[in-house]
Amino acid sequence: MQSADFLTITDLWIERGERVLCKELSFSVQSGEVIRILGENGAGKSSLLKALLGTVLIDEGSILYLGEDITADRSNLHKDTLYIGHSVGLKKALTVRENLALYCPDVSIEGYQPILEELGLAPFLDMPVNKLSQGQARRTALSRLWLTQKSLWILDEPFSALDDQACLLLEKKIEQHSLAGGVVLLTTHIPLSSIQPRELEFAV
Amino acid sequence: MTYFSFFKSESLLLWRHKQDTLNALLFFVIVVTLFPLGIDATPDFLTVSAGGIIWCATSLAVLMSISRMYREDYEDGSLEQWLVSGLYLPFLILLKVTVQWLFMIAPLLLILPIVGGMLYLSEESFWVLVATLLLGSPSLFLIGSIGAALTVSLQQGAMLLMLLILPMYIPILIFATSAIKASEIGLPYLGSLAMLLAISLLSLVFAPFMAAASIKASVNE
Repeated sequence: MQSADFLTITDLWIERGERVLCKELSFSVQSGEVIRILGENGAGKSSLLKALLGTVLIDEGSILYLGEDITADRSNLHKDTLYIGHSVGLKKALTVRENLALYCPDVSIEGYQPILEELGLAPFLDMPVNKLSQGQARRTALSRLWLTQKSLWILDEPFSALDDQACLLLEKKIEQHSLAGGVVLLTTHIPLSSIQPRELEFAV
Repeated sequence: MTYFSFFKSESLLLWRHKQDTLNALLFFVIVVTLFPLGIDATPDFLTVSAGGIIWCATSLAVLMSISRMYREDYEDGSLEQWLVSGLYLPFLILLKVTVQWLFMIAPLLLILPIVGGMLYLSEESFWVLVATLLLGSPSLFLIGSIGAALTVSLQQGAMLLMLLILPMYIPILIFATSAIKASEIGLPYLGSLAMLLAISLLSLVFAPFMAAASIKASVNE
């Protein structure tokens, strides 16, 4: 028996007011794949990612997750998904440590000291997020990729505000995740150096 | 994210933003103080009006503190994270409302003896007032959370929130003040307290679901 695709999107149709963001979009995603969604600014790449997550409503089409139809209820998908969007959901009044304790309560931060040092976050663990630079805040949000175990990563412009070293670190992590059988859906305008994602052109 | 880590971070956040709660409490004290100064400072007037004054001030202070309840979560992307967390959204909302209620009502109850004394409230009426606040205030927060969720994506949503929510506060105000007045003149007041409890329980059943639906709609915009 053939195993089901990780995700199967069929005839997806999304409208926002008068504007059609995508019509009859179909594609499937296998375990271990990295998919880069390409498109101009404002083409609706972020909306497509949000539509897969269910935070943007779809007008028509179906989404299967491991063979199960999740078009009406994405709760099973959410349990296995890590989403980092444009706004990363960090609480500005809380410290880096407190934010990580919110999103990754099951891990001991001390156990991840080496990776937090590599991400340059170790000296700022007890600093409120509103005192961090944009790049440091994004690194804090992205550190969840190391601290949590989810199969599907949905990353909207994950490389924005990151320096070259952090970009390479993130690319390496994405590659490792894919080799371990995880799936990554991302949007970025930055050329990737170490990974060769499958590209999905997104245009109406 | 887990329910416990969410509850903990919400409590921490309110503690870090304690100035907002203090502002709402200060507003409550100012409103209560203005009534005797502006209308009549005699015990005869104040004893009868105390329940109404305190409940009007409480409702306005709650509205003031609740109007921005989800605003920061909307702006920093937390609402999206709640939606994709795999946790049950109405329960997350219930936890947030509980934290807001505790942080507002606990200090309010602490300053209530001073405010009650200022308005010449008798001892029995004071305890009835405490009971009305404990039984009725959860519904103020629960109903308010629906309005806050509906208006979260609007830049100038405060006025719309008041228009939406204040009419729903009226039955709570009526039953709370009638219980206090009844105790002041020696009439039975348990019926009004029971009604307050019923409204709070009803809000507890419906409000988290309605607020969750409103948040989903606001995020989808």
